[in-house]
Amino acid sequence: MSAVPATTAFAPISGARRRKDQFMRGLLAAGTIVALIPLVLVIYYLLKRGLGAISWHFLSSDPTGNFLGDPGGIKSAIFGTIEMVALASVIAIPVGVGVALYLTEYGKDSRFASAVRYFVDVMTGVPSIVFGLFIYITLILSGNVGTFAGWKGSIALALLMLPIVTRSAEVVLLLVPDHLREAALALGAPRWRVVSRVVLPTALPGLVTGSLLAIARAAGETAPLLFTAAIVNGTTFNLGDRMNSLPLQIFTDVGQAQDRLVARAWGAALTLVMLILLLTLIARFVSRRSRLT
Amino acid sequence: MNPQEAKEMTSEPPATTRGRFGREQGAATATPVAGPQQAGHRVTVGELNAYYGEQHAIKDLSIDFEPNRVTALIGPSGCGKSTLVRCINRMHEEIPGAYATGKVMVDDTDVYDSRVDVVAVRRAVGMVFQKPNPFPTMSIYDNVAAGLRLRGAKGSHLKERVEASLRSAGLWDEVKDRLAKAGIGLSGGQQQRLCIARTLAAEPEVILMDEPCSALDPIATLKIEELIDELKTKYTIVIVTHNMQQAARVADTTAFMLSGELVEHADTEKMFTNPDDDRTEQYVTGKFG
Amino acid sequence: MPETTRHAFQEELTELESQALAGLDMVVTTLERTMEALQQQDVELALMVVQDDDRIDGRYLEVHQGILSLLARQAPVATDLRLVAALLDVIKHVERMGDQCVNIAKTIPLTGHEPPVVPELLGTLLEMGRHVAAMIEQAKRAFCTRNVELAEDLVSRDDAVNRMHREAFRIALEAGEDVDTREWAMMMLGVGRALERMGDNAVDIGEQTAFIVTGLFREFTDASRPAPVS
Repeated sequence: MSAVPATTAFAPISGARRRKDQFMRGLLAAGTIVALIPLVLVIYYLLKRGLGAISWHFLSSDPTGNFLGDPGGIKSAIFGTIEMVALASVIAIPVGVGVALYLTEYGKDSRFASAVRYFVDVMTGVPSIVFGLFIYITLILSGNVGTFAGWKGSIALALLMLPIVTRSAEVVLLLVPDHLREAALALGAPRWRVVSRVVLPTALPGLVTGSLLAIARAAGETAPLLFTAAIVNGTTFNLGDRMNSLPLQIFTDVGQAQDRLVARAWGAALTLVMLILLLTLIARFVSRRSRLT
Repeated sequence: MNPQEAKEMTSEPPATTRGRFGREQGAATATPVAGPQQAGHRVTVGELNAYYGEQHAIKDLSIDFEPNRVTALIGPSGCGKSTLVRCINRMHEEIPGAYATGKVMVDDTDVYDSRVDVVAVRRAVGMVFQKPNPFPTMSIYDNVAAGLRLRGAKGSHLKERVEASLRSAGLWDEVKDRLAKAGIGLSGGQQQRLCIARTLAAEPEVILMDEPCSALDPIATLKIEELIDELKTKYTIVIVTHNMQQAARVADTTAFMLSGELVEHADTEKMFTNPDDDRTEQYVTGKFG
Repeated sequence: MPETTRHAFQEELTELESQALAGLDMVVTTLERTMEALQQQDVELALMVVQDDDRIDGRYLEVHQGILSLLARQAPVATDLRLVAALLDVIKHVERMGDQCVNIAKTIPLTGHEPPVVPELLGTLLEMGRHVAAMIEQAKRAFCTRNVELAEDLVSRDDAVNRMHREAFRIALEAGEDVDTREWAMMMLGVGRALERMGDNAVDIGEQTAFIVTGLFREFTDASRPAPVS
């Protein structure tokens, strides 16, 4: 090809632009690394301090409460977390998805729906300790229902999960293309059938992902449980009793003088992170099978 | 002497012109004869007004859709043809802020009558959309069966109905070995025929089509046009189209709309060889659009 | 007025129309030459007419091809479609009329260099020729301006041509005693027929004008549907 004339549109890239390009790239890479450092450090410390504490005994025995001798494991904390979070999910997920369905299918742009949306947004910003306090005041201090109990912790967690579930469900439901709803309506389906047979199945993977993430969040919350579920040593399957949980176990153990208790705290922290990691991986797997995102 | 006067001046009876496929037709609109197969369903729109909030989209529109005939609606963008069609099966009011007044008679029933259930209207008046929209979570079989299941039908006798609908849509041979596969795995033209099969499964009386071929390639388009020709023996069909050649090929009568009003409605042949209204002439010859 | 779209198409259509109508001009010129050759018994002029018919045939092919191309590419409808159909018909008549002139021109060498002329017969034929030329020009104007009245008027002009044709027939019958004169008269009747056919062709072009304007095809009264004898 002959030499390119100077006036052509395909002038070569200038040196100044190339330098600016590289500068920006470097800047962004540096920022990313800086952001990753704490994350890496956290994981490193967790593994370093916690891995040693984990053993079968650790996972299968309750904390003994002994100051001297065998401190025991974290079995009751694991079960407690699982039970309380399960109950919270059973409450929060159907209600949350229900509110989201109302907002996208029925309320849409109405004044009431906009108000609901606004309040849900506010609720996502409420500090989790406030939920705990709310339950403490209404269900514990009021005397009607008495003392600390697992189910009260569940309710506090459910209040925390609700806005998260609603928000993510609404986003997923809005992603369901309108023309699918139209097709179903045009076939002569009443709106509830459109929702149950077309909208929900299509949005299902996204809804599952959103719910799993909300569950993972709730599993790690400490503050709501401080005033509601309390700390006990024994494993119990009765949600009416006071119930242990991983975050609270960590909370109590970390401040102790004994090294073995502190080690147990790290082990519990690692276990909790593992549990959450497991949930997140399942959520990822489910979302990959989704046809919407 | 201008063309209008010249037309009125011809005192002799108009010459018969041979229509498409050799049917004899007079120059005026032919009196329709219902097909021998079954009595068709007539749709009559009377003084229809449709609004999107403040915007007046359809103005005092009256039009007759003959039974067992294909009627095409043509007109420039925004003239209201899609709106008109959506008023017939009352999908128009699903848009927030949209409403319509007037009468739309399907045979003897006014679909806008307050006693009429909107869901029942939509079962009698089926609709095929511009973009093929099979339900993504359902198999081919389930998609067609959805036409029945969404109305509450249950049970295993659906199998015959599904097969019959797929045959009517000309899709059976292509999918009979993979009924359990996902509906969205088909090509565009096949998906659209699947949507037609789904609509047919619900056994409507009238079929509305809103630019059914605009998202399809030419061969798929021709297949669907042939399908429409077969379907009209059993259903009354109204098709909205941007493509005038398609209207010319497929429709028995054509209606031209402009800014929410009906300008002219006549036999397709007349519309494209000798329309009465000057605006129709301008539009079909492409002088504006 | 909205800006006109389909510029290229409109230009093409207009061009085709003027080409077809120019064909009519060519026919008038050819007819006038033929009549002059007849009057002057000019064999060379007659030969030129025969050879020049190629140009008219060429024009026919050009317009025909142009119309096919337009139909294939542009899908004309309504008035445009009627115009295209009419042009196909007009250009066919142009070609026929060209052939009629050739038929007339061919009689000239055959009659020998000094044929026995019956002045009355020749005069009538020349008058017919002038009438027909005028008719073709009128047909062209009517088509151009889409004037249905003017087109319908062609019928009465054609009546005049037909009358002259009958007159020529009568004169030829009483042609004369010797064989040569009678032979010449017979050939002249052929000329008369050719001219009468050209008149009919002009009327047909008028019918096409009415078709474009009204969208209805109607036979004006012609030889096959004669008007009542007045």
